[in-house]
Amino acid sequence: MRRFFLMALLAGPTAAWAAQGTPDWPCVQPRQDHLSLGQVWTGPPPPPDTAAAADPAIAALADRVVQRRMPLPEAEAAIAAFASGADNAQLAALMQAVFDRIDGQRTNLIAGISRYGNKQARLAAQVQARRDRMAQLQSAATPDFDAMDAEEKALDWDTRIFTDRQQSLTYVCETPVILEQRLFALGRAIASHLNP
Amino acid sequence: MKTALLILLLSASPALANKVFVSNEKGNDVTVIDSATLEVLGSYPVGNRPRGIAISPDGRELYVCASDDDLVRVFDPETMQETHTLPSGPDPELFVLHPSGNPLYIANEDDNLVTVVDTRTHRMLAEIPVGVEPEGMGISPDGKVVINTSETTNMAHFIDAETYQITDNVLVDQRPRFAQFSDDGTRLYVSSEIGGTVSVIDPATRQITKTIGFDIPGVLPEAIQPVGIRVTADGKKIFVALGPANRVAVIDGDSLEVTDYILVGQRVWQMAFTPDQSQLYTTNGNSNDVTVIDVASNKALRSIPVGQQPWGVVVAPN
Repeated sequence: MRRFFLMALLAGPTAAWAAQGTPDWPCVQPRQDHLSLGQVWTGPPPPPDTAAAADPAIAALADRVVQRRMPLPEAEAAIAAFASGADNAQLAALMQAVFDRIDGQRTNLIAGISRYGNKQARLAAQVQARRDRMAQLQSAATPDFDAMDAEEKALDWDTRIFTDRQQSLTYVCETPVILEQRLFALGRAIASHLNP
Repeated sequence: MKTALLILLLSASPALANKVFVSNEKGNDVTVIDSATLEVLGSYPVGNRPRGIAISPDGRELYVCASDDDLVRVFDPETMQETHTLPSGPDPELFVLHPSGNPLYIANEDDNLVTVVDTRTHRMLAEIPVGVEPEGMGISPDGKVVINTSETTNMAHFIDAETYQITDNVLVDQRPRFAQFSDDGTRLYVSSEIGGTVSVIDPATRQITKTIGFDIPGVLPEAIQPVGIRVTADGKKIFVALGPANRVAVIDGDSLEVTDYILVGQRVWQMAFTPDQSQLYTTNGNSNDVTVIDVASNKALRSIPVGQQPWGVVVAPN
């Protein structure tokens, strides 16, 4: 698979898409637009849009713990502090609030990856167009060397940007998983405080 | 009541300590766990992109598919020192060992081949052309039939273990990943990752007798991606790892109905029993841990952090 990808990359930027996906989804990971609560939670079902769900304390805690800059042990401690005075329904409401926030962030991120992919596709087409123009300039009866220099420089830049972005793709494609990991860890932390 | 007491008695008796070996695809190492204390004993480098992992029936040789090294590395399970390598063909992903310990049947994902390797002479015995993107490997308990599943062709290939000829092909649902016989050899289970099902095949007639689907309340269907399968020795319980659903399904062997969905870790793929089948270990690739399931109660007992992206797991025999 990797060897094929490399060959495709060398054959030309546009061909690389064939090996790795579409401009809308350039990742090897299967695209999943939304997560589901059952992937991280087997506790009681969250209360359907009631007082608990609208509780500002729950919303504020959820806003804090979903942020990736908050180290996980701190988030776990904040959840533990909340859990000491909470019943299962409130814990389930917290879970739902955390889920909604992270799933929303993740959906935005996936839309961003699509834009990234489409930009790459446009850049690939531009590189191809520049190559064609270079070929035309080179085969002209009286070559315009200034135009060729300018075109070559532009081609170098475009190729470099394309390649750099392509190399970042692995990381970009892994970011949804980082959010999923956070959600799962928070779910585990909340579930650990459920009363049997 | 009597059974509950029996279970209590069994779980109270001191379990034998077995080493559990977990291959970490991204960490390029193997984590070793003690099954009695559930403590991590250590982690050891094993080459690039380790995935499939198996141990010889006598417990003396540990085999690891080093996918990016294009070979199988063999380790002494006691010291975790590499003793030798086996030729595997390119990109070995998963393999199955003959019940006697020899030979080893290896799926080569990139080359559409199954490579057969003699574990004693370290020589390649055969290369068997199969469907596109071979992955799942199974072998009948009598060692006569090897099964390979091809992810793109969507088939389970029945291969004669002696002549290396394909004797039959069974079309299953999309992207078959794993093949597992029941211990009595009367059933073959094949999981389909994208199809979201497990096909139950009668090995005698090569007919699908039942297709098992999964439905987890609160989980979108596309997150349910069955991969690893393990069947208890008595055939009564079938465990299926459901990938990004983060659940392991428990299927009743008599009714073939799902009775439980155990929440484990993220992207659960492969599983292994301890020899007494009291515990089942699952590899959770995205939460970087293994979950220990209590087989009698279908409960997740513990999550043990391992290396980066755990893929395969095997438990040393007694």
